[in-house]
Amino acid sequence: MNSDPTMNTRPAADPADWLDSALAADGGSHRDAYLDDAGFTARVMAVLPAPATLPAWRKPALSVLWAVAGLGAALALPTAATDVARELFRLAAHPVSLLEISAAIAALGAISWAGAAYVLRQD
Amino acid sequence: MAPPGVADAELIARVVVHDDRHAFSELVRRYQSPIRATLRRMTAGNHALADDLAQETFLLAYRNLKSFRHEARFPTWLHRIATNAFLADARKRKEELLGDRDGDVVDDEDGDGLDAGGAGDGHERAASLKLDLERAMATLSEAERAAIVQCYHNDLTHEEAAYVLDCPVGTVKTHVLRAKQKLKLRLAAWNPEPDATA
Repeated sequence: MNSDPTMNTRPAADPADWLDSALAADGGSHRDAYLDDAGFTARVMAVLPAPATLPAWRKPALSVLWAVAGLGAALALPTAATDVARELFRLAAHPVSLLEISAAIAALGAISWAGAAYVLRQD
Repeated sequence: MAPPGVADAELIARVVVHDDRHAFSELVRRYQSPIRATLRRMTAGNHALADDLAQETFLLAYRNLKSFRHEARFPTWLHRIATNAFLADARKRKEELLGDRDGDVVDDEDGDGLDAGGAGDGHERAASLKLDLERAMATLSEAERAAIVQCYHNDLTHEEAAYVLDCPVGTVKTHVLRAKQKLKLRLAAWNPEPDATA
């Protein structure tokens, strides 16, 4: 649709043209008239599709999944913590070079940037 | 429930994001009158058909509200849906509509036109012209009638009418021109200067 108002043209409403005058007068009375709702809105609302409802089994299934995930995390976390501590200790014993640190930062940055670009992409 | 002062855009957002039925009912309440009135005009006074089409219009609007991109005002978008519904229905019922028209409206195909109402005061004359105009409008093709309704009754620009009618601006102008020629011929008796137009 043209958004430039200067380009918009109205039908030639010629006051000297009796048909234009008649159509304009008829149109004016049409615009001024208000049609009472008389139950129309209620009829429209009655034919709208029913609201989307989740299946009854979805909520208990989600609860079970969360419980399983929680149990897994509880079992895995203690060993994960000791593994991370052991690796940090090993790294401290063998200092890494500046080049290795730069490469790791660059790799993490690239991964973060690619992840952000993927999440924020326009469909 | 959404108060009447809430902007269309906010109501639309509520419907799209939260499927807010109250917000949608407020939109229907707000625009039922112009949409039904326009459809009554386009269906040449068939109120039952107009209300059915208006109901279909709002149902389609509800289903497609997510695709509404605000490239036009919301009521203009609704008019576009209503006009499409009318033209699609007219194509389906063309035979039936033509039959009705032949039976009770078009009774002087040879171009004598409608009676100018004769004597009477200004009020009677205006009412008589209005009636004759309605009858003459019924003789137009669906596309011509839709163009006249959008341009004169809804006071849209040619560009807005082209958006609503989903056709080029030139086509709208052609429909309006042809419709006016037909109306002038049919309502020739109302022409105050019969010799000036032929």
